[in-house]
Amino acid sequence: MLLAFRCALASERVTAAAIEANEFPQLSQELGVWAVPRVVVDGEPRWDGSVPEPEFLRRLVAAA
Amino acid sequence: MPILGTEEETKVREWFAGLARPVELFVALGPEETPGAGTRDLDFGAEMVRLCEGLAELGDGVTCRIEDEPDGFPRFPAVSIRPDGQDAGVRYDGLPWGYELGSLVGGIVEAGRDQPTLRPDSLAALEELDRDLTLDVFVTPT
Repeated sequence: MLLAFRCALASERVTAAAIEANEFPQLSQELGVWAVPRVVVDGEPRWDGSVPEPEFLRRLVAAA
Repeated sequence: MPILGTEEETKVREWFAGLARPVELFVALGPEETPGAGTRDLDFGAEMVRLCEGLAELGDGVTCRIEDEPDGFPRFPAVSIRPDGQDAGVRYDGLPWGYELGSLVGGIVEAGRDQPTLRPDSLAALEELDRDLTLDVFVTPT
């Protein structure tokens, strides 16, 4: 989660929200959240699980 | 009930004392979705206020502001972590309890730094972005 926050703090182009899945079950169901962390970019589920910073950035840029 | 144990509180006080710039916790309250089965039975909004006000007491550089249904918040309760009181696009939707409290505290510490902590190649990659990106990371407390 912190990596997403760091990206948002470093770039005006990025916003990052942590969403507590149990508290928002409808949204979680819509996005098929079965594993966490689930990373969603612009409303599209992209990947599950924590990844190292270089891989996180690679996937983020690929989603842009 | 305190939000942190004694040892954890001491560490958080040290981290907050080292903030290079002030951080505001902007708490947004409003209508809440019915949480999923197995979620603790509590007033999430009230607990969010207690949590953020409690964190603000641990460092002079951390403040807490509360508003009902402010613009720009899709879900409630939520807290926007704001360096120098400015919206930097960093938000936590829902109550960050358990392990996730560390994410909120970590977000405050990161927001309080005067320099990004990402690797240089990561910063370069972000500079290459030619459009805005919205990152949502679903988490669960443990």
